[in-house]
Amino acid sequence: MDRRTVIKNLTILTAGVTLLPSCLQKQEKALVHLKNFSLKASQEKSIASVVDTIIPKTDSPGALALGVHLFVLKMVDECYSKKDQQNFIEGLDQLDEVMQKNYGHSFYECNIKQREDTLLALEQQKGFPTALITFYKILKYRTIQGFTTSKYVLSNELVYELVPGRYNGYFPVKVVNLPSKKNA
Amino acid sequence: MPKLKNIKDRTYDAIVIGSGMSGGWAAKELTQKGFKTLMLERGRDVKHLKDYPTTNMYPWEFPHHGEVPYNIKQSSPIANRCYAFKEDAMHFFVKDNEHPYIQTKPFDWIRGYQVGGKSLLWARQTQRWSIFDFEGPARDGYAVDWPIRYEDLAPWYSYVEKFAGISGNHDNLPELPDGEFLPAFPLNCVEDYFKKQLSSNYQNRHVISARCAHLSKPKPIHLEQGRGQCQNRVLCQRGCPFGGYFSSNSSTIPWAERTGNLTLRPFSVVESIIYDEDKGKAVGVSVIDAHTKEVTEYFAKIIFVNAAALNTNLLLLNSTSSRFPNGLGNDNGLMGKYVAFHNYSARIHAEYEGYKGLTTDGRNPAGGGYIPRFRNVFKQETGFLRGYAAGFSSFRSAEHNNNGIGENLKSNLLHAPLGPWKVGSHMMGETIPKETNFVSLDNSGKDEWGMPLLKISIDYDDNDAKMKADFFEQFTEMYSRAGFTNIKTEDSKQAPGLDIHEMGGVRMGRDPKTSLLNKWNQLHACKNVFVTDGACMTSTSTQNPSLTYMALTARAVDYAINALKTREI
Repeated sequence: MDRRTVIKNLTILTAGVTLLPSCLQKQEKALVHLKNFSLKASQEKSIASVVDTIIPKTDSPGALALGVHLFVLKMVDECYSKKDQQNFIEGLDQLDEVMQKNYGHSFYECNIKQREDTLLALEQQKGFPTALITFYKILKYRTIQGFTTSKYVLSNELVYELVPGRYNGYFPVKVVNLPSKKNA
Repeated sequence: MPKLKNIKDRTYDAIVIGSGMSGGWAAKELTQKGFKTLMLERGRDVKHLKDYPTTNMYPWEFPHHGEVPYNIKQSSPIANRCYAFKEDAMHFFVKDNEHPYIQTKPFDWIRGYQVGGKSLLWARQTQRWSIFDFEGPARDGYAVDWPIRYEDLAPWYSYVEKFAGISGNHDNLPELPDGEFLPAFPLNCVEDYFKKQLSSNYQNRHVISARCAHLSKPKPIHLEQGRGQCQNRVLCQRGCPFGGYFSSNSSTIPWAERTGNLTLRPFSVVESIIYDEDKGKAVGVSVIDAHTKEVTEYFAKIIFVNAAALNTNLLLLNSTSSRFPNGLGNDNGLMGKYVAFHNYSARIHAEYEGYKGLTTDGRNPAGGGYIPRFRNVFKQETGFLRGYAAGFSSFRSAEHNNNGIGENLKSNLLHAPLGPWKVGSHMMGETIPKETNFVSLDNSGKDEWGMPLLKISIDYDDNDAKMKADFFEQFTEMYSRAGFTNIKTEDSKQAPGLDIHEMGGVRMGRDPKTSLLNKWNQLHACKNVFVTDGACMTSTSTQNPSLTYMALTARAVDYAINALKTREI
């Protein structure tokens, strides 16, 4: 990672950190404003924590720092039926029940290994209640979508060009021809 | 708009009903010949550049990153089936619940009620018809004979192509005549490979660069329109900030406005065309203001009906008088009948293991290749009538592995390897116009503006099924012989309408007993009314129809102006 990228990442991390306190405050109602259903603060924290576990911070920002948990909630709020939303919440509560039973804590209070172990088990789509499996599918799909279409990723990693101004149908695979990368 | 009490203030030389693909051309041709023209549009105005709110947005700037929210899908379930109905362009489609219609049989009626109509949203494919297409009904004995031939329209194809800007190669194929072309967008390596494979494995099967209404290299006439070179964004459905593709909004309407002869009146629902029995012709139109519901009459010497195929049927059927109790010009009772469309319900996909060292860079606005119709072209040779054209395109994309979580998943998402070349074709099948495929008015319910609802009764038939089976069979063979693997056919089972190529109902023909329009697109029985949108089509052929509507419109306006001069109308 060159200097410029480090600085870019730092800037984004700082921006991410300002989002984090909302996940740490002890209060009942979630901070995010939803139109079609409501969340308790603890539920919001668990969602943020699942998103963070699915795509963590590495040498580049993770999903949480990019605000992907907020995107996930917006999508669940506005792109699903009432019934799907109810199932989603039900599945979320089931997740916390599983964590309470296995580890004595809510998902967001568990350590990284406990969280990862649970999600990896969920990836197998077996041995969990249906609502929880559906919840996880939706949450994972939306997390990947939110991450891969985030401003950070589409500007720095998988660069999206609004105005390509060219088409080459015989382009050698190994050549990189993305203008915003040339200067990096 | 101020209330115009005086009839003189409401009188023009010409009225154009509709502002889409063909209406824009009618307005351009009329105004540049000095005709004071009133263009009526039932929806809102959409000004080029100014009214393209999403045009410069990045994916992440859309609240739902491009996806249509649930409640909008619920209120527009039909539009939601259209490939272009996404968060970036959904404001250019009607809300289905505001514009009801009756489906006797399933029909997805895709509508864009705004200035520019669907010309903002079209797929921009512009292939000419050939002599074989115009001769089709006469040769194969269906519908009625077209009253024109390719030679009648050829100079008008050239005329509209030069202005609109069409990119393409001179391919020298009798079944798909060449036109006035800007440089073509090239095929990529696998498209070229398939082109060569087809030429060596078959006679008369070709892959060409799809001809499209994009300015690959603008000429002075395009710059004069304020349009510039296509920048390969392929975000056309949002409206183009460069005017890189042709739409009424970027091209014909501003051109018409510049003459000073155009009056554009949005929010104008045309209720009917007014017929004057003493004069024996139409004298004007009755317009419902979309907001106030107030009715105003406007008058003109000639009227061009360009409301989009099915709405043109609705309007004419609703234009009743004691002379025409069944709709304007509908003496033979055939209006609304013999509607046809394109069968777009079949696709075929495969993979190709070659050319691993190559991929594409940038984007191709033409969409790739086009395979002109090769079945039954020169003579009848299959168990079904007519044939199909097809798209052909290939691409490579990253193969995402979404399994797992954590660092592994993240790394997979950000460093996904390129997959093999994917290839795909979609069928564009000609359907046979039949009396049993029709639209009619339903007077049991009215829409918000007091207009009767359109009742649509259109379906596929056995010929369509046989043709689709042939498409799957032929393309499976063509793909196999080219060494493509993992071939998968897909029958979308989509309803008619989703092709957005509905045509007919007010067909052209030689005989007033069996057609509604003559060879100049004039109503046989009301000579100062011209229909030059999709409603006029006698048969559908396989080509995307917009270019033919443009050419028919320019030709009809030229005739109308001369006929007015010589007092024939």
